[in-house]
Amino acid sequence: MKILEIQDLCVTYIAGEKRIKAVDHVSFAIDEGDSLGIVGESGSGKSTMAMAMLRLLDPRYTEITGAANYRGENLLTVDPRRLSELRWKDIAVVFQKSMNSLSPVHRIGEQFEDIYRVHEPKASKKEIRERVEKLFAMVNLAPRVYNLYPHELSGGMLQRTSIALSLLFHPKILIMDEATTALDVVTQGQILSEIKKLEKSIAVTRMMITHDLSVVATSCQKIIVLYAGQLMEFGYVRDVLANPRHPYTEGLVRSFPSLHGKKEELLSIPGSLPDLSNPPQGCIFAPRCPYATDQCRAHRPEPRHIDDLHVAACWRVKGGIQDA
Amino acid sequence: MPDAVKAPVIKAVGVKRYYKQRGGSLLSFGRKPRMIQAVDGVDFELYEGEIFGVIGESGCGKSTLGRLLIRLEEPSEGDIYFRGESSKALMKKDPKKFHRMVQAVFQNPFDTFTPNDTIGEIMMRPLRLHGIGKSDEERRAMCEKALEDGGLKPAADFLGRFPHELSGGQLQRISILRSMLLEPLFLVADEPVSMLDVSVRAEIIHMLQDLCASRRTAIMLISHDIAVVRYVSQRVAVMYLGRIVEMGDTDTIIQNPMHPYTQALISNCSSIDPDEDKQAIEIQGEPPSPINPGPGCYFANRCFKACEKCFKSYPPMRTMKDGRVVSCHFATGDE
Repeated sequence: MKILEIQDLCVTYIAGEKRIKAVDHVSFAIDEGDSLGIVGESGSGKSTMAMAMLRLLDPRYTEITGAANYRGENLLTVDPRRLSELRWKDIAVVFQKSMNSLSPVHRIGEQFEDIYRVHEPKASKKEIRERVEKLFAMVNLAPRVYNLYPHELSGGMLQRTSIALSLLFHPKILIMDEATTALDVVTQGQILSEIKKLEKSIAVTRMMITHDLSVVATSCQKIIVLYAGQLMEFGYVRDVLANPRHPYTEGLVRSFPSLHGKKEELLSIPGSLPDLSNPPQGCIFAPRCPYATDQCRAHRPEPRHIDDLHVAACWRVKGGIQDA
Repeated sequence: MPDAVKAPVIKAVGVKRYYKQRGGSLLSFGRKPRMIQAVDGVDFELYEGEIFGVIGESGCGKSTLGRLLIRLEEPSEGDIYFRGESSKALMKKDPKKFHRMVQAVFQNPFDTFTPNDTIGEIMMRPLRLHGIGKSDEERRAMCEKALEDGGLKPAADFLGRFPHELSGGQLQRISILRSMLLEPLFLVADEPVSMLDVSVRAEIIHMLQDLCASRRTAIMLISHDIAVVRYVSQRVAVMYLGRIVEMGDTDTIIQNPMHPYTQALISNCSSIDPDEDKQAIEIQGEPPSPINPGPGCYFANRCFKACEKCFKSYPPMRTMKDGRVVSCHFATGDE
């Protein structure tokens, strides 16, 4: 069953005279229990997309069109009161810098209590503590963390605390925005395997926003590749990474050194992101694409289906459903 | 293996760096201050035209080691020899000459440059300081050539721009080019690509490789990204809590790590191949405090192999048959 359906989402930042298209006609859907990785370089609109879905962007400077349907409700238009009910309870977010999202002058436990009371105003201290300690056990934290201050914890422990905090109300969708990026390999490995174990015990749909393809390869089923706010490729991780159909995905995969096997030559993608306030006509990736033709420079390719799920927005995709 | 006849460019002997712990209450008055062992006895050699990788978790002392080598910090004990000369003596004799021999490239290219100087000004300053080139015109021409060679064209255009007008990848390339203008003997690259987007990382990596090959500069690449280190460096050292636990040929170590910490580190590295059969070795907890880590092996409390002996004595460095050195009680020479 589809839990979240993004339809034709556009986010435009308005900065004075400039209009910057940060997310440009993105559509995709995820099923319940999925784990989706959203990858792209910095500035590709990954975080903006997640923030727009939860309406966390300042409406004075942003223009959002399209729809984000969560179980039949459009998150972009629901009543603000309903939205605050959904936030955290149904859809929770873990941000990259948990050190900055926790208050430095309150004990961890107090912060959990505060947030718990937002949705459950009548909860007793004891009840909350029991619930939180259960969560701590899930993410491998000692119960004593409840009485500590954030500065007493290491980066890995803080990130675990943030994950526990996001799971406080058993959310249906968990959005992790670069949640493991700042961590060490070993800690990242620990947390990723804990998350995978967690998913088996509680039903949660996960969206991982990251620039690290290897994190997606080890922990997600599906992947979205974004470039300059546009969807380049979408599909199962094993299909997309093993057999990338979009030149940008191909470039990303080839610029990752691998740890085993033959040392293949590392390639970079020449050039840099286009100016999003004045994007080029045609395919947005054409100026950096090694295969670009006149057709690419003149017309923007629509996402084309390769099979039922696998989609790539490139003129080179042939033999897909459209052509058959 | 590097040529054994050649003298090493750099030789570190028992380098240690301790920091005094700040703070403490009135009660601790008169007591010996507690020492944080950031780098705790490191020995290694580095040869001409070699890229030497250093990997480890954050807080393991890899950056401190880099700073010690270029003497941004004084070692508490031990010394580093450049072509056989003690760096301490070199610094005393002629600090300017020493600084010309060693250069560094840091992680964040946006913090590397003065924001209100043009790239031309930024690149020419070291040349002027070291009295290279007769006039500013000559220096400018040198910078232009360096930029052109580094693929930043048109160079004259770049020289007039300010750091905020350039992307991270371009700035990092300029940072490398600037340090290479002085033709140093040795370059420390501290996480040179971790701030950059994947699509430009390869450029920086190739640039370091080319410079190393063409100018025979010895490079120490500090990184937490094992895949990058594998790609560029011939030899690698794995650090844990201020000490080297395993060091040797990069491919040998990554394919067949012997120290349990290296094994765990490598098994936890995610790969982009989703089909790869991965058995991550889980290590529990976090590194112990670097204040008096105890008599035994520092890794013992997290090690899946640890036995009684490991908690009692720190394992000595042993040389294995394949040339690597490992510091583990379980790694005996005949394995």
